[in-house]
Amino acid sequence: MTSAKAEPSQANKSLEAMKSFSETYAKRTDTYFCVDPSVTAVVIEGLARHKDELGSPLCPCRHYEDKEAEVKAAYWNCPCVPMRERKECHCMLFLTPDNDFAGEQQDIEMEEILKVRESLQGS
Amino acid sequence: MAATPVTDSTFKAEVIESQVPVLVDFWAPWCGPCRMVAPVVDEISQQYEGQVKVVKINTDENPGVASQYGIRSIPTLMLFKGGQRVDMVVGAVPKTTLANTLEKYI
Repeated sequence: MTSAKAEPSQANKSLEAMKSFSETYAKRTDTYFCVDPSVTAVVIEGLARHKDELGSPLCPCRHYEDKEAEVKAAYWNCPCVPMRERKECHCMLFLTPDNDFAGEQQDIEMEEILKVRESLQGS
Repeated sequence: MAATPVTDSTFKAEVIESQVPVLVDFWAPWCGPCRMVAPVVDEISQQYEGQVKVVKINTDENPGVASQYGIRSIPTLMLFKGGQRVDMVVGAVPKTTLANTLEKYI
């Protein structure tokens, strides 16, 4: 049996990269993560998956007719145009302090992200 | 009773041909606000049991219906009555917003 605890996979590298991006970007834009950290965790996981599959972190809270074309169009690559222009993140990753769902954190534990990933396995 | 999953292949029978209004939750697995709205949708399902049917559809696995109805932002909650789309709410909304929308059609 091969161990699952091999070297960090590409998927984990992307996850680490998206986690780090999210934390840095929240601080830079004075936005905060959701009071429910599982929301933040699934979005980071979704961004990492798109980065692996498509090469860019396309927003996971949209439905696309053609994901490859959307990546090229770049509008919904995170941070998307509405976020960059107006701090609007409908995915609830980056929330302005006046948002009812904004918490006080701009960091998230990797453990939290992995916990959500496990809970979604097979779903 | 929680929202029942429907697919591209069961959508017609479960939603379009339903005798009662149907609330459809268009969701995706890696969408944060979908996690917030799911329990609200389940509560609505209980509160309006018998009056409104509540279903959910995974847009990643069922792109046909999602494209047909022009779904862009997720979550989108769409209300169908008599086979027609009659109303729509986008994003993680409070239960009262959803209930007020439903009340107009039952």
